[in-house]
Amino acid sequence: MLKEMQEALIAGKKADVESLVDQALAAGLPAARILNEGLIPGMERLGVLFKNNEVFIPEVLVAARAMNAGLGKLEPHLAAAGVKPRGIVVIGTVKGDLHDIGKNLVAMMLRGNGYKIVDLGVDVLPEKYLEAAKANGAGAIALSALLTTTMVQMKNVVDAVEASGLGIPVVIGGAPVTRDYANQIRARGFAPDAASAVEEIGRLIAA
Amino acid sequence: MDMTSRELVIAALEFRSPERIPRQLWVLPWAERTWPAELSAIRKKYPDDIVQSPGFLTEPLMTSGDEYAPGVYVDEWGCRFESRQAGIIGEVKEPRIAAWSDLDGLRLPQERLSVDVRKVDDFCAASGAFVHARTVVRPFELLQFLRGPENLYVDLAERPDGLFRLIEKIHRFFLEELELWASTDVDALFFADDWGSQNSLLISPVLWRELFKPLYRDYAEVAHRHGKYIFMHSDGHIAAIYPDIIEIGVDALNSQLFCMDVKELGRRFAGQITFWGEVDRQRLLPYGSPADVGAAVKIAKEALFRNGGVIAQCEFGIGARPENVAAVFETWDGLA
Repeated sequence: MLKEMQEALIAGKKADVESLVDQALAAGLPAARILNEGLIPGMERLGVLFKNNEVFIPEVLVAARAMNAGLGKLEPHLAAAGVKPRGIVVIGTVKGDLHDIGKNLVAMMLRGNGYKIVDLGVDVLPEKYLEAAKANGAGAIALSALLTTTMVQMKNVVDAVEASGLGIPVVIGGAPVTRDYANQIRARGFAPDAASAVEEIGRLIAA
Repeated sequence: MDMTSRELVIAALEFRSPERIPRQLWVLPWAERTWPAELSAIRKKYPDDIVQSPGFLTEPLMTSGDEYAPGVYVDEWGCRFESRQAGIIGEVKEPRIAAWSDLDGLRLPQERLSVDVRKVDDFCAASGAFVHARTVVRPFELLQFLRGPENLYVDLAERPDGLFRLIEKIHRFFLEELELWASTDVDALFFADDWGSQNSLLISPVLWRELFKPLYRDYAEVAHRHGKYIFMHSDGHIAAIYPDIIEIGVDALNSQLFCMDVKELGRRFAGQITFWGEVDRQRLLPYGSPADVGAAVKIAKEALFRNGGVIAQCEFGIGARPENVAAVFETWDGLA
């Protein structure tokens, strides 16, 4: 049943995922096992397919919707069982930049991989990231920018996090952003695509 | 030098050894505002061989706001763009067609078809340059503006009837617009859509071939039936669909060469299509040196030029340094 759930998730079959989660719960499977052996492996496989250019944005979006539907069914049971997320990530598009599809894709992939997401939206001031990270006990901050003129805002966030002594990693991504730029502004993480962002954040939170 | 600008471009498109690589500079309002004197000097020293005809519309487009100013701009399709930055276009935050029931109320911007053909022809006759039509044909982008990007991507996965009705509606309009411009004396028609992310297509090549390639094939057919060239632009990594673009007969393609493997593009496609620019505007033009830019142009020439098949185009856009933009044309001129 869990394998079937993975396949339904990758195919973006929302109703099937919901139904399979219901069936798994009714069969007495613990919510954590349904999450960790059904939904999350499905999203992980989807991430690999996305990185390998075997699926593309439309397929990822419908899979993420199916994942969210499944999670919606599971969440009350996860909460009752005291299951905690893999980590908490504050995410947003930097000040002056209104582009959000890349940021939303990363947020969906992270959520689908078991992270709690605090999505600050677009055009986010540096201090807002910091406030949200503190308020939510975040393990990482993820920044998105599409424009060469707005990616310079990323340095302000990195500087603010460093100055705060919070000690959590900042991961950056977006069309003009490179690993070299991440190194230059001392961002601890860089991701060239949404699937890589999940891996990079996982690596940094675990470190 | 004997060739006119127009002759240079045609020689490049037909691989007939142009006397010089023809050139074209694209300028975003940001550059106009930030580097007015430097831009003027570049334009004077390296004039464009390709120009775009003015629209010569007899009826004004029903838009509001300034497309390139911070705030809200509503285009002729009713799409509402929000921007925080001067000099660049904004993002659509509220889709015009949020539900498919909104589709029937979608107003086509018929004013785009009020072109004064005689004025266009006069413009072409007076210009020694190769003249592009003032078309704004971009089905994929318009679909994103009308539906909102996320809605559209989900539509592409779920394929509701409304999506096909919408595509049909805008495609018919674009064909009408292209037919109109093809009846003028312009040299080429033009369409654009951004199909790539940094390292792949945004949608699967299979889906692209099914839904969008036929639209572009129609556009190319209109141009060629009227004896015009057809030019296309797409940002991003689009190597996967280069063969399709060549197959449907696109004469010149503006793509982000340096987002892909320039040498590999040349090995596979040089001599089959004209590479209409460009030079890396994400990294080299803003952050590189003139020497870096010159080296990139030399790589492009070596990889792509086959007795033509290259147009020295680049974009003076956000963050680009004027000395780097000048280096693009200086290097190409030196290589001719």
